[in-house]
Amino acid sequence: MTVAIHPMHTGFVGEISGIDITRSLSRDDVAAIEAGMDRYAVLVFHGQKLTDQQQQAFSHYFGELEHTAGGNITKAQDRRLDPYMADVSNLDKDHKPLARDDRKRMFNLGNRLWHSDSSFRAVPAKYSLLSGRIVVDKGGNTEFADMRAAYDALDDATKSEIEDLVCEHSLLYSRGTLGFTELTEEERAQMQPVRQRLVRTHLVTRRKSLYLSSHIGTIVGWPMPEARAFIRDLVEHATQSQFTYSHKWRQWDLVMWDNRQLMHRVTRFDETQARDMRRTTVAGEGMTVAQAQAA
Amino acid sequence: MSIEITPLHTAFAGEVAGIDTTRNLTPAEVVAIEAGMDRCAVLVFRNQRLTDDQQLVFSQAFGELEFTNGTGISKPGEQRLHPAFADVSNLDTDNQILARDNRRRLYSLGNMLWHSDSSFKPVPAKYSILSGRVVATTGGETEFADMRAAHDALDDVTKVEIESLVCEHSLIYSREVMGFGDLTRAERATMRPVRQALVRTHPGSGRKSLYLGSHIGTIICWPIPEARAFIRDLTEHATQRRFVYAHRWRPFDLVMWDNRATMHRVRRYDSGQVRDMRRTTVAGTALTTQQPTEVRAAE
Repeated sequence: MTVAIHPMHTGFVGEISGIDITRSLSRDDVAAIEAGMDRYAVLVFHGQKLTDQQQQAFSHYFGELEHTAGGNITKAQDRRLDPYMADVSNLDKDHKPLARDDRKRMFNLGNRLWHSDSSFRAVPAKYSLLSGRIVVDKGGNTEFADMRAAYDALDDATKSEIEDLVCEHSLLYSRGTLGFTELTEEERAQMQPVRQRLVRTHLVTRRKSLYLSSHIGTIVGWPMPEARAFIRDLVEHATQSQFTYSHKWRQWDLVMWDNRQLMHRVTRFDETQARDMRRTTVAGEGMTVAQAQAA
Repeated sequence: MSIEITPLHTAFAGEVAGIDTTRNLTPAEVVAIEAGMDRCAVLVFRNQRLTDDQQLVFSQAFGELEFTNGTGISKPGEQRLHPAFADVSNLDTDNQILARDNRRRLYSLGNMLWHSDSSFKPVPAKYSILSGRVVATTGGETEFADMRAAHDALDDVTKVEIESLVCEHSLIYSREVMGFGDLTRAERATMRPVRQALVRTHPGSGRKSLYLGSHIGTIICWPIPEARAFIRDLTEHATQRRFVYAHRWRPFDLVMWDNRATMHRVRRYDSGQVRDMRRTTVAGTALTTQQPTEVRAAE
């Protein structure tokens, strides 16, 4: 059986059939998936009963895996999963839902804001691959916004204004927005801001996109409040309903997206229910702009 | 002459004809405008060449005025206008355009976030009345969102969940979100959080509305990040384009809105151009919820 991709209503999401990603892939399969990612930016695979190892093996076809260090406040000894699996669940080490005021839960609420994974790293992520092991019935959708279409829809004056702007990204900013500011010195030290271009060009398709994220704290050379007001306007533009897709999870869905072309977020759900989602992340190939200092 | 109101939007906002706001209003005119406000929540009066004194007289017909003393960061003597005016311009006391990194300019960029005027006061504002003396030629629209329609459109589960929630509002929160963090101790002391009901009922129309605004920092008894994420969701719902009227200013427009039923914000404009907008604010008459003792003590 060969890989088939059916476009979903929004145009930037494809549903894949004809492939079992728990097994080894052929070169053609990998090429077909990469071509699909370039074209759509989100691919949905249904009914993939992956183990963590299988998920890592599948992800590894698309590049080096990103290590989770520096992306969260959970200490190594408190982790539920392997350090190459980002734990996007609401569960503790014993697989029980975190208490309402648990610090890890507070931190993870940042995922409710539109963002692009690892935009706070000097070399930000290429793909994210999220596996729905235990999904919730109501809410907990993952929403995606197409930053290529959002860029294309800007007026020419705005396009030229933003072309060479550079933003500072840090977990400190997204968490500050949510009022989560009780961070240790050690945590702050690993969240030093990095620089990213505001407009980036996709390596393969050469399409431009808006590189936005709630991790943005300012635009280099701008007064901070002016930068934040402007970034909010751009985010509002870029997340209009015509640019978005809301994924309602079924158990064993695997959703794969290109962080270089999209933002995403999770919607609210009843957090007394277990939601076990596991993410692998394929590292990016390079910086979007030179860093101010060694970051 | 009687007044006529033409709708500007399907849900709310109307344009008023037949009123000269530079003259003293008759009691019947005041009643007609208040009735129009209860229904429309935003009224636009075109071509009203008001002096500051005339704007004060017109505004006082609807209640006591709020004074701007003790709010924001301008000190007495640094104000361009009479203390009953909120200076929503981009001008200094010499009527010169504020520099890009001017502290007052950066502070006032908070007006680009959706808010309801004076929600950070224990008794928040009733009406705001904004006169466009010199308007921006591109951008600078004031957008309004109908918080009654937004409440009506919520699902029943959400309506029940939020019915009795109470939020904390402060200028500190809206400015922190913008990264304007360098407030002095004295400024912070005037910005102590107050409490407001999240759902309020309008005394004139009896309609319920969402009482949102960027001044909200948390919901009482909720963890702060959870409260903020939820308030953002509600704000996103409430500011969908179907609930929004965008007002493009013409010189000498006078726009009057009910802060108890709407949120508003200004859109970006070329800050190298003069924009001279002057606001009077009619004080509210009641708390929306009981205040904590430290706020009551400070009043």
